[in-house]
Amino acid sequence: MNCGDWEERIALYCGGDLAAAEARAVEEHLADCAGCQAFAGGLQDSLETLREAHAEPIAEAHFAAVRARVMGELECPRRPWRRWAWVVGAAAVAAAATLAVALTTHRPAELPARPVEIAAPVKSAAAPELVALRQPAKRRTRRRVVRARAPQPVEPLVVKLVTDDPNVVIYWITGKSGE
Amino acid sequence: MKALESLATTLPAMALSDAKAGGLAAFELLMRRHERMVLVTALRLLGDLDDAKDVSQEVFLKLYRHLGKLETGNLAGWLYRVTVNQCRDARRRRRPAAPGELAAAMLSYRPDPRQNAVQAERRKALEMSLRLLSERERAALVLRDLQGLSTGEVARILGSSEATVRSQVCKARVKVKGFVQRYFGRRR
Repeated sequence: MNCGDWEERIALYCGGDLAAAEARAVEEHLADCAGCQAFAGGLQDSLETLREAHAEPIAEAHFAAVRARVMGELECPRRPWRRWAWVVGAAAVAAAATLAVALTTHRPAELPARPVEIAAPVKSAAAPELVALRQPAKRRTRRRVVRARAPQPVEPLVVKLVTDDPNVVIYWITGKSGE
Repeated sequence: MKALESLATTLPAMALSDAKAGGLAAFELLMRRHERMVLVTALRLLGDLDDAKDVSQEVFLKLYRHLGKLETGNLAGWLYRVTVNQCRDARRRRRPAAPGELAAAMLSYRPDPRQNAVQAERRKALEMSLRLLSERERAALVLRDLQGLSTGEVARILGSSEATVRSQVCKARVKVKGFVQRYFGRRR
């Protein structure tokens, strides 16, 4: 085997790529061959030069620049989403508020709100002051009466409540105590 | 000591799982841990820092998009593979060098006697010797001899056999030796 045949193995040996048995064979040849020793020395020196150059630090600013670009790219798609989220959120709140107002003010068509007509006392001239509230439903009388203190002596009080149905009239007659 | 070793293996896994959960802060941590490896590899494969930064950006964006599919164990291998592929794409997009361009650059370059910076000389030697190699030889040499990966790991990253990698590395070492000796004008 001439030295040209050893080149490949020596190149692998210098990089630590040979198995133990092959490495021993190369070492034996190198011990006897000055030319291959020089070749192996050149390989090791050049690899060492490259490794030293490779190990030189790169300025932190370059890493920071890459990092900033990557993080910028990753955050960018989120921004429009956030902006639209505010718009959608505000629209949802506005819609909910509108719906709430509509529900609280809405009355069904068949249940019109009408004031209750309250008649004055039939016989008594000294009727107490009455304040009637709206009647909310048909055939259903809901009332709130604020009664003033009746003067003494008290005579029976008659309250006439008129409903939506003209055939239904409610009379409320109180006793002397006003109860 | 064992606790420290355990922590060293646990932390990257935690950073990866946090990043998978969508945390940008965790992803940034993951990026900081691997940014030197990616940028330096790209720089050696491309020979240009700006191109290497572009490739690094693409690699990390790709990492973010593929976080869900990655396993902790092979993250470095995945990053190397993507970096090598992105560099290959970047070189194809770049204007191809004229055949005599490199030779002219080598002939015109003389070490500056006023520039007594050994580091600058070594850096130039590294850059120019890598430009002499074919794409596959360069990738094999950079990963095996400069990044210190095993032949098996290099073979997996490059998608070839260990025998092929050994052959490529061998040729690359001999070419680099020849260039470095000529560059410095003496036997080293």
